[in-house]
Amino acid sequence: MSGSLKLVNLIETHAEPIARQWARDVRKNPRTPSYHNIPEDKLVPVGVKFYDNFKQMFFTDKPADTSQQYFARYAEEHHARNIPLNEALYSLIMMRRHIWLYAEFQTIFISAVEQKQAVDSLVRTILMFDYAIFFISRRYQELIRQSIEEKLGVVNVLRMESPPGTKSGNYKSAIMVLLVFGAFGLTYYYHAMLGQNIIFTHLLYIPIVLASIWWKKKGILVAACLGVYLLLSHLLFLKGMTFTDDIIRAVMFLVIGTVVAFLSEGITRAEELYKPAN
Amino acid sequence: MVASMKLIDLVENHAEKIAAQWSKIVVKNPFTPFYHNKPAEKLIPQGVRFYRKFRKLFLEPKPVEASDGYFSRYAEERYKEGVPLQEAIYALILMRRQIWLYAEFQAIFSTAVEKQQAIESVTRTMLMFDYAMYFITKKYRELMKLEWFEAPNT
Repeated sequence: MSGSLKLVNLIETHAEPIARQWARDVRKNPRTPSYHNIPEDKLVPVGVKFYDNFKQMFFTDKPADTSQQYFARYAEEHHARNIPLNEALYSLIMMRRHIWLYAEFQTIFISAVEQKQAVDSLVRTILMFDYAIFFISRRYQELIRQSIEEKLGVVNVLRMESPPGTKSGNYKSAIMVLLVFGAFGLTYYYHAMLGQNIIFTHLLYIPIVLASIWWKKKGILVAACLGVYLLLSHLLFLKGMTFTDDIIRAVMFLVIGTVVAFLSEGITRAEELYKPAN
Repeated sequence: MVASMKLIDLVENHAEKIAAQWSKIVVKNPFTPFYHNKPAEKLIPQGVRFYRKFRKLFLEPKPVEASDGYFSRYAEERYKEGVPLQEAIYALILMRRQIWLYAEFQAIFSTAVEKQQAIESVTRTMLMFDYAMYFITKKYRELMKLEWFEAPNT
């Protein structure tokens, strides 16, 4: 442990120069472009804060618990500055490298015994950084999930997400049955009673879009159903009128239904990926 | 480089065994819950692929480019499987740790000179993994952008 102590003492007493070297490096590294325009004076305190916390995280009996809080805050601060995760992680990796560059420069591990101590220090530092990378990635995913949920506010209301078989699942089916029968009635009224195929078809997009949002690819069936019904109704009641318009409408039902279904699937899939680990 | 070669040979010759050990760890590690129900037959080949690739990645004269290609593919595969980013990364960290646990078990770095060689190997392995972390998170971000048609801040 004395070798590790040597390293920790070096970091503690030289936090400022190590942080300054790191700040200079991170401002020009091609893998950290988001840091290039942050003034050095703003970056140095970030490094100093990390190096100041190093001792505590290094010597704790529970490295995972101790580092979790610190690195979650690190993630929050970097996320708030709009720094992408890959860059936030790489800048942390550079912080670790600068410890080693500085330690090497100061040649604190020279003798054979010290070489053994160097291995111990290296292993313990790596363990700490393994946790850091996990906690930072997880916190970033949580923060992104929060911002996605905020951005998707209205869409989420429309999605009425809940486990299958629960009340909102039943509501969805009931609402959809009503909407589809409403669409059938409307089509019949316009085609059979009024003999027209005007603007009413726009209203049919309501059940089409909702079905695709709720049931994704399976929801396309509603679009197909309404498209087929529209064409059959035309054949039955609008014999003298041109068929092309309604064919185009039916195709558009399918196109819109499919696009919305894929978008809805994308949202669900991305949500799964951003799910917290526990 | 002699010590590194020793490590590489060990990893290559014992790829299956190390991968099997890794699969046992990853299915019960609290940081990798996604893997908990995955059968060993699906996990072991994943580990073997990585350990077999280890030599090439380790000795590559251009480690950045080599890492980019391999770890971007690793990210793509995990993304398609629906593995959360932090777990995909941690599973890889566990792969790395397993190399060291195995090497320690085999006591390949016992003498004083070998300790110095151990530092060299650790440093080189870490360099590879530093790039790995960067390229995996970058690739996940790109894939998520594609899915969202816009750039969420990953």
